[in-house]
Amino acid sequence: MEKSILKDPGLYVMVSIGLLIMIFLPIMMDMFAIMQITQYVVLSVYALSLAYIWGYGGILSFGQSCFFGLGAYTFAVASINMGSTSLPFILAIIIPALFGVLLGYFMFYGRLSDVYLGVVTLVVTLIFWKLINHTAGPQYAIGDARLGGFNGIPSIPILNMPTANGQMMDPIQMFVTFMAILIMVYVGLRLLIASEFGRVSISIRENEVRSSLLGYDVRRHKVVVFSIGCGIAGMSGAMWATYQTFIDPNAFSLEMSAKALVWVMAGGVGTLAGPIIAVVILQWISLKLGQLNIINNFVLLGLILVPLVLILPKGLLPTVKQWSQDLWTIWKKNKANEGDTIIKESETVNAGRRK
Amino acid sequence: MSDQEILRTTGLTMRFGGVTAVNNVNFSIDHEGELRCLLGPNGAGKSTFFKCLTGQLVPTEGTITFMGEPIAGMDTHEIVNLGIGIKTQVPNLFNGLSAYDNVRLAAKRKHLKRQAIEKTFDMLSNCGIENLKGSEVGLLSHGQRQLIELAMVLAAEPTLVLLDEPAAGMTGEERDRLAFLVKEVTKTASVIVVEHDMAFIKQIAKNVTVFHRGEIFAEDDVKKIMKNKSVQEIYLGKSADAA
Ligand SMILES: Nc1ncnc2c1ncn2[C@@H]1O[C@H](COP(=O)(O)OP(=O)(O)OP(=O)(O)O)[C@@H](O)[C@H]1O
Ligand SMILES: [Mg+2]
Repeated sequence: MEKSILKDPGLYVMVSIGLLIMIFLPIMMDMFAIMQITQYVVLSVYALSLAYIWGYGGILSFGQSCFFGLGAYTFAVASINMGSTSLPFILAIIIPALFGVLLGYFMFYGRLSDVYLGVVTLVVTLIFWKLINHTAGPQYAIGDARLGGFNGIPSIPILNMPTANGQMMDPIQMFVTFMAILIMVYVGLRLLIASEFGRVSISIRENEVRSSLLGYDVRRHKVVVFSIGCGIAGMSGAMWATYQTFIDPNAFSLEMSAKALVWVMAGGVGTLAGPIIAVVILQWISLKLGQLNIINNFVLLGLILVPLVLILPKGLLPTVKQWSQDLWTIWKKNKANEGDTIIKESETVNAGRRK
Repeated sequence: MSDQEILRTTGLTMRFGGVTAVNNVNFSIDHEGELRCLLGPNGAGKSTFFKCLTGQLVPTEGTITFMGEPIAGMDTHEIVNLGIGIKTQVPNLFNGLSAYDNVRLAAKRKHLKRQAIEKTFDMLSNCGIENLKGSEVGLLSHGQRQLIELAMVLAAEPTLVLLDEPAAGMTGEERDRLAFLVKEVTKTASVIVVEHDMAFIKQIAKNVTVFHRGEIFAEDDVKKIMKNKSVQEIYLGKSADAA
């Protein structure tokens, strides 16, 4: 049944939590902690880009870092050349989105199957990574910006306030701005998913053949969904570049692509809030364990992923939802017939899960 | 309108590597409301022929004209929007959704909000599946899924309806309902039905086209086809080359 997104309490809960964090964290925590948390905010936007195209468009991309890196480098090169930061930030959305249209056109109009789609996105990412790695010499420069190869690009400008005098943001201002962006991306995607366009995406995800037999242009639709995801990934790349004031080819790395996949899988494919929660938890764990310096981050990612997929095959958020639903039915049953044995109730729980 | 030719294929050929699934087929539906049955043993090329008509496959050679417009090589969604609807051999449904939502998604292609809902209820009751409206379609029987897909196809009000083995998996009661429905549909549309079930064919059809090895083997009145020796032979698996 159609239900208006504006009547969904989940949306308001998430937005309220976001606003509370945005307003109160800077008051409650010190600058260093806020700077740490800003990192989670940026990576959450990045995770949302894949959560959307995979969960709501059925497009599994193994190369999301390609667009993250493209956005980061676009912002770096453009802001170093232009001096201002607003236009470069917008370019860092537009250029990856346009590249997404191009790549999407070849993939979807070429009728590539899902497996090949994964391979193509992976290979394109590797090509970018290789190419940028080989731009160390001084001849590789775009205007004033030297690409720097494996050394990366240093001294990337910090984002200016989008006001008239345009001062450079301090870390707190950057945190607040990025939180605002995260909330806007989240709400924007929720609205998009609930729109007619979003319903068509979900139809296509559910059954591509029937969608085209209902008269929907499946391929064009997928290109649009894909390029929206690419634009968001590009924006998160720009946020990363300006947050670190530095970017190197590792933005294009497979590790970066794999992380997005892990976050979405762990948080739950087909949710938006889940991947954000996964970013926070998994990044925090890898930060803490990284400080101990006993285990490689990549290995760690795998060690977390394997049991996670086994224990929570649907991902964090859907599983928690399922559990709370089960508890709710138990509780209701308990109220209905107080004297009933526990065995019966555990049966209903199991029956519910089997579905 | 009713004297306009609905569909014509000339020299329609579909090859998959070395396999010629459809071979030089010249086929036509001459007038609105015509009901044609396609017969033929397994692998004769019936489903492939349908897929060419709907753009799910791009024919290797030949032309297809629908309502005077050449459609070979067009995209599926374009062809569908011109007015061809298909119930595929294996039903393609939105498995996670209810029967009601499935049919409503189809009805919305032709109607605005309130009319779409009305149309949805009409189709559900016409197809005798009102009782299934809340059921998740992924969990239903093959016969029930067939009826739901039929309701979806009809909800979009196509000019030409293609039904690929619609009676498969149906109970006797469901099949009678289907026969009645197909006849109803011919009041507003032309229909091509692929079926193996002879009893069902006798119930609905006048004209029959027999496919064999990708070619049109025979085309005639249903009674004559039933008596045709060589048609019986290809169905029994004997070589038709002798005929
Ligand atoms: N995508 C494909 N690739 C290769 N060969 C195919 C493909 N689709 C169909 N064929 C072959 O084309 C021939 C015709 O198949 P088709 O499905 O059209 O037969 P059919 O008449 O519908 O049979 P049935 O009654 O079993 O449904 C078969 O030999 C089949 O193996
Ligand atoms: Mg078939």
